[in-house]
Amino acid sequence: MAELVREILIDATPETIWPFLTEPEKHVEWEGTVAEIDPRPGGLYRVLVAGQSQSAGEYVEVVPREKVVFTFGWEQEGHPIPPGSTTVEISLHPEGDRTRVRLVHRGLPDDAISDHGEGWAHYLGRLEIAAAGGDAGPDTPQSHEPTV
Amino acid sequence: MDATLKALAEPRRREILRLVWSQELPATEIADRFRDVTRPAISQHLAVLKDAGLVTERRDGARRLYRANTDTVAELRAFLDDYWTSGLERLRGVAEEAEARKRQTRRRTKGRT
Repeated sequence: MAELVREILIDATPETIWPFLTEPEKHVEWEGTVAEIDPRPGGLYRVLVAGQSQSAGEYVEVVPREKVVFTFGWEQEGHPIPPGSTTVEISLHPEGDRTRVRLVHRGLPDDAISDHGEGWAHYLGRLEIAAAGGDAGPDTPQSHEPTV
Repeated sequence: MDATLKALAEPRRREILRLVWSQELPATEIADRFRDVTRPAISQHLAVLKDAGLVTERRDGARRLYRANTDTVAELRAFLDDYWTSGLERLRGVAEEAEARKRQTRRRTKGRT
């Protein structure tokens, strides 16, 4: 399964960060305008993002001050990521007085596209070069299969 | 972006996109790869993908050839990356504020004892 990984170092302890992940009124301070969350296995995860996109799922695993795992998707009809189709894991790793927060979003719909490591890897590589101010050069399609 | 997400909602369309990711293929050949799907259904999937900007179509005589439009696909990935990156940055903002308040309270309490 293809996954997206994001990490951020926060100058706060897991004890301080935890309520922002598990308490509705604190959750909306950073994500969503309405959060209906019941952080226990099988509990509801439903966050209204920017007042329009309704994300939804349910909690799979909750380890206090260590991690939350919940299924994730959008309720909007026809969305490629429907509720329950993907999984998000947010884990907290203490580093001295600080905490590394790691988010892994698994099961994204790019699976089907990124076979054989082509696709995303190729374009993300180009994006990194361009973002760093470099020139990725002309984009040559990577044909690895004989043309039929 | 909405059209892109909708177009990718259907597993067969993702499969078609994968087929034409690195090579241009005629519609007939794409249809041949799906034994359980009718040609008109494949044509419809191709039309949805084209409207969403995920594939480009080229006519060669009577044939229609398709290949992935990688710019749009990269855009979808960028949308998801941004969704979580900005979320985590906001989490850092509010958590660090809360931590700073706690540390201040601790310092004050310590000063009193």
